[in-house]
Amino acid sequence: MSTFLAIDTSGGTSVAIVHNGEALSEIVIDDPMGHSENIGQALVEVLHEAGITPQDLSAVVVGRGPAPFTGLRVGIAAAIAFSEGIGKPLLGVVSHDAIARDFFDTISDADRATIDAGSRLLVTTDARRKEVYWSLYSGLDSHGAPICVDGPHVEKPHDLEDQLDQKNVQRITTGNTLSAVSLAQVAAANLAGGRTLTDVTALYLRAPDAVEPKAHGKFGKQVSS
Amino acid sequence: MNDVIIRVANENDLDAIMVIEHAAFGSTAWPRDSMALELAPNPARHYFVAHVGDVMVGYSGISVVAGHHGDIMTIAIVAEHRGRGLGRRLMNRMLEVAKSQSATEVFLEVRADNQVAQSLYRSLGFEQIDLRRGYYQPENIDAVIMKLDFTNTDASGTPGPRAATAASAAGGKSDPLVLGIESSCDETGIGIVRGTTLLANVIASSMDQHARFGGVVPEIAARAHLEALQPAIREALKTAQVSLQDLDAIAVTNGPGLAGALMVGVGAAKALAVATGKPLYAVNHLVGHVGVDVLERGEVQTPTIALLVSGGHTSLLLVRDLLDDVELLGETIDDAAGEAFDKVARLLGLGYPGGPQIDKAATDGNPAAIRFPRGLTLPKDMEKHRYDFSFSGLKTAVARWVEVAEASGEEFSVADVAASFREAVVDVLVGKAVAACQAHNVPRLLLGGGVVANRGLRDVAAAKCAEAGIELRIPALDLCTDNGAMIAALGAQLVMAGREASSLNFAADSTLPVTQVQSI
Repeated sequence: MSTFLAIDTSGGTSVAIVHNGEALSEIVIDDPMGHSENIGQALVEVLHEAGITPQDLSAVVVGRGPAPFTGLRVGIAAAIAFSEGIGKPLLGVVSHDAIARDFFDTISDADRATIDAGSRLLVTTDARRKEVYWSLYSGLDSHGAPICVDGPHVEKPHDLEDQLDQKNVQRITTGNTLSAVSLAQVAAANLAGGRTLTDVTALYLRAPDAVEPKAHGKFGKQVSS
Repeated sequence: MNDVIIRVANENDLDAIMVIEHAAFGSTAWPRDSMALELAPNPARHYFVAHVGDVMVGYSGISVVAGHHGDIMTIAIVAEHRGRGLGRRLMNRMLEVAKSQSATEVFLEVRADNQVAQSLYRSLGFEQIDLRRGYYQPENIDAVIMKLDFTNTDASGTPGPRAATAASAAGGKSDPLVLGIESSCDETGIGIVRGTTLLANVIASSMDQHARFGGVVPEIAARAHLEALQPAIREALKTAQVSLQDLDAIAVTNGPGLAGALMVGVGAAKALAVATGKPLYAVNHLVGHVGVDVLERGEVQTPTIALLVSGGHTSLLLVRDLLDDVELLGETIDDAAGEAFDKVARLLGLGYPGGPQIDKAATDGNPAAIRFPRGLTLPKDMEKHRYDFSFSGLKTAVARWVEVAEASGEEFSVADVAASFREAVVDVLVGKAVAACQAHNVPRLLLGGGVVANRGLRDVAAAKCAEAGIELRIPALDLCTDNGAMIAALGAQLVMAGREASSLNFAADSTLPVTQVQSI
């Protein structure tokens, strides 16, 4: 028996309650901004719609990105605080895993054949600054957890294509819509596979923009004191 | 806008009441027949309606067993009129009836997820006595059962915000236990207070990570908040020896500050409030710096002038009332004072943060050695910028002075430059603060913000205030720098004043005006 609250703000704001793998409620707010405004009401509404109280939850699942900075942090901060608030475990999942899980769950026969013939699933999401975050998947393991063979990384789309062509990676691409329901399912699959998911650090994949000033300030010469 | 009138309801109000009933309660609305029975003449039933002109905007009802107890039957207000104190007025009318019929206690039940209502009831003196699981069906929402004991309220017998205030003055259990979250700049602060008593003040600073950049890097600060959040919450709870379930409310800074940094605290606070079912108060960071004085004095004596000086702010406030009347007299029009200290320290090859380094370097220096300019103090500035500050020109003046001195090839004293620069900053800060006290006839000055750690500022403020007969308040240093305790303290003041909790929809606002003490 498990009842998970899943939160992901790597794109918009996506929140869901998933009981034994089944969605009880889900809210997707497709707004790339406004995460900190939306998160509170979204949490109230998924609980309400699922007809449960916070204490009925067995864990909180959070998407770790990759995602550009600000929005991603809101979801992780909320998940940390919610987990503290109910005294239940916090589980971290790479957000791309949820997209991959979704794809494999609803895969067409044609795509199935392509994957079986050795193609990889390429998941890309917007990293802003004309770059994309990407990961490659080979399928699902026996528990239903996506098997990531490369990534997540951040790259210019053109460089990514070149790189994959050079390595002769056959691939099919999927959209970038993320469901918090899938995120919770990935968490459950990983737990079933014996993984602990304790890492909830944010996957920014970029260093902060900051330039160090010259070591001794504006003046080359050390002045006396 | 027309005033809201509250009067006793009668059977002719049935139609209008049913409209509100359906809008407010949807599928769980009472049937029309039941409502008609409630409105029928009955000495044990007391219904009131609120209306603006001819339009009904709310209603409520209480059942009273004379000499014994009362039960709040219902209360509803149309959405557009919520958050304006109407619920409180209707509640007070019902409580007056109960009291007039010698009831000793009043009961009510409220949805566990309706935090706004619970906050109102608590402010009126209600306390939770029970929880009924899944009481509201089909949504399966718990009901919180609350009781107001009239024998506990103050001697004047008026229930209302005073009930809570009276209890807190006695140091009673009803002092609200509030956890405050601060993340507006480079300090992750988690504070816990009970009323005006400080229980924990945990501060995790990312200052060291900014040192090599010579100033706060917003993205680094925001990342650090996320990492510090969980350990800081745990440590604060441990220090205060309380659990999250014990809390009466949560407070969070929603501005002003660095947007990305604020969002971490706001996101966390909203989730914590939903997870624990506690009311949430979004409060103003700058007013928090003023409100922190309650933790040392039990109250903020008003009116007071407040001078808040940090790496992000340089603000001069006139506080006539902590919760209702805070006016911004002036602020920096370019760099914050703390920023000027950082930049000049870097210029002189000193470390970060600049304040303490300049302080150290200035110890043996002569503050009168170099006459650096005092920004916005000329007669021509008095009209538009009487209480504003500017430190950008001063920084440039120091740079030019050092450049010229270096070009001349003569050695010069860094101590003198540091002391003279500090003198110029402090002179303007304290000069304008004292002038504001005198112009507004306010006999006290409160300092806040990280730059208060600066020895020069404290000394000059003490001397000039003594000279002018102004009482100077400087809270303990760890309450002056950014911290969560001040946010918790301000939140507790709002709870004790009976203010309704904030909604869950407020935004992190990097330029939140100081006049907005609480964001709804």
